[in-house]
Amino acid sequence: MGKQEKEKNRTVKTMTDVVMEARNVYKTYGKLEAVKGVSLQIRKGDIKLIFGPSGSGKSTFLRCLAMLTMPDKGEVYLGEQCLTKPGVDLNKARARIGFVFQHIYLFRHLTALGNVELALREVLKLSKQEARERALAALKEVKVADCINRYPAQMSGGQAQRVGIARAIARNPDIILLDEPTSALDPELTGEVIDSLRDLAKEGTTMLIVSHEMPFAREVAEEMIFYDEGAIVETGIPSHFFNSPNSDRAKKFMNRIINRTTRE
Amino acid sequence: MFEFVSEFLPWIIQGFTLTVEITLFGIFLGLGIGILLAIGDLYGGKLVKGFIAIYVEFFRGSPLFIQLFLAYYTVPALLHIPLDPYITAFLVFGLNSAGYQKGYIKGAMETIYEDQMAAGLSTGMSRAQTLRHVIIPQALRILIPSWTNEFCSLTKSSSVVAYVGLFDLVGAGREIIGITYDVLAVWLVIGAIYLAWITGFAKIMDIIYEKKKIPGVELLMQ
Repeated sequence: MGKQEKEKNRTVKTMTDVVMEARNVYKTYGKLEAVKGVSLQIRKGDIKLIFGPSGSGKSTFLRCLAMLTMPDKGEVYLGEQCLTKPGVDLNKARARIGFVFQHIYLFRHLTALGNVELALREVLKLSKQEARERALAALKEVKVADCINRYPAQMSGGQAQRVGIARAIARNPDIILLDEPTSALDPELTGEVIDSLRDLAKEGTTMLIVSHEMPFAREVAEEMIFYDEGAIVETGIPSHFFNSPNSDRAKKFMNRIINRTTRE
Repeated sequence: MFEFVSEFLPWIIQGFTLTVEITLFGIFLGLGIGILLAIGDLYGGKLVKGFIAIYVEFFRGSPLFIQLFLAYYTVPALLHIPLDPYITAFLVFGLNSAGYQKGYIKGAMETIYEDQMAAGLSTGMSRAQTLRHVIIPQALRILIPSWTNEFCSLTKSSSVVAYVGLFDLVGAGREIIGITYDVLAVWLVIGAIYLAWITGFAKIMDIIYEKKKIPGVELLMQ
């Protein structure tokens, strides 16, 4: 295959490039409609960013995609496999999805290395040696190689979240879902996590990120998705949102966010 | 006053051995069954939960002595099989302790459950794998103090086996008193043995607890 052809293959995305898709997904908690008929497609290499007011259901939607929360209605596809059909081996599917939590959720009784190794041993069934090498490589990639023997409570929030990212990427998942990876951290610690995400973006990692880090969004996101009251309100490239969003809700929200950022 | 100790030392040792055996066997069997009951109570359907509730109420709500008595005199009659008295006592103590330990274990699991389970599932592990490698190892660490309490109380209640004719520490004491009539001295010695054994064991558990504590995590549950 010539170089040009390769380029072309990369840019022309076909249906088979779809890594993950939500079709009309619903999720209700009691009276709260967190997700109301959301559809979304993510192709290989995409970096999409979901943003919107807190409590609007973004996290729930992300958890539905990873089947950590079961959608009430609608379909979720991982590649060509429908995950919402009965009888699907969800554990196998989740092994191909990386997930980074807002509150990090490292395994508290394991060191950084142990956190990353566990699934490599138990899910991918790698040998001790192989698992260790892969875990170390992942930890090095997010630049926490110096605290591999520390327990979660002995790390800073930024270090812990980077270990969380290492745990998500070590299995080489098809896609990584990140649920507000920086919002629980002290402001001075968000930078190091953002740097790690930027590195992943450069490598062409497929990512769907819930985040309000606007400078980061502007830099790496190919598409931004404004989500409010359980639904996607508006989508567009970052400059669209920074310059002139269509909906009033997005306008208001962008104003608030930009004001807040400049005040800081 | 205490001359009888050297004279009846073999009895005392025999009685102490049985007390230790019953207690250790009971507490470990109780731990195993307790873990299963806790998992059943967290995950099981209505039927499983209902069964567990009845189980716990029965073993927690009726005197150990009566449970032991029932096991000795009614189960063999109903099943038409002779039961070894020692094995029966071991089983009753294990089943009884499980009723208490289930509560401790479930409590410990609940404090770590939600987020750690989500984290485990997100890495592709199954629920069973996450329980085994994440939830239970953490729960057992939290459990150690309440487990030590359970040990203390089980050791003391183990003396009821004397009523069904087993020769434990209290059984040995009664036999010795039957010969020497020195009630006070015998019970003082027997009591001191309980005290030393329980204190020593609890001390060891404290050391294990400190050693196994997850670095940086202060007591998660009080």
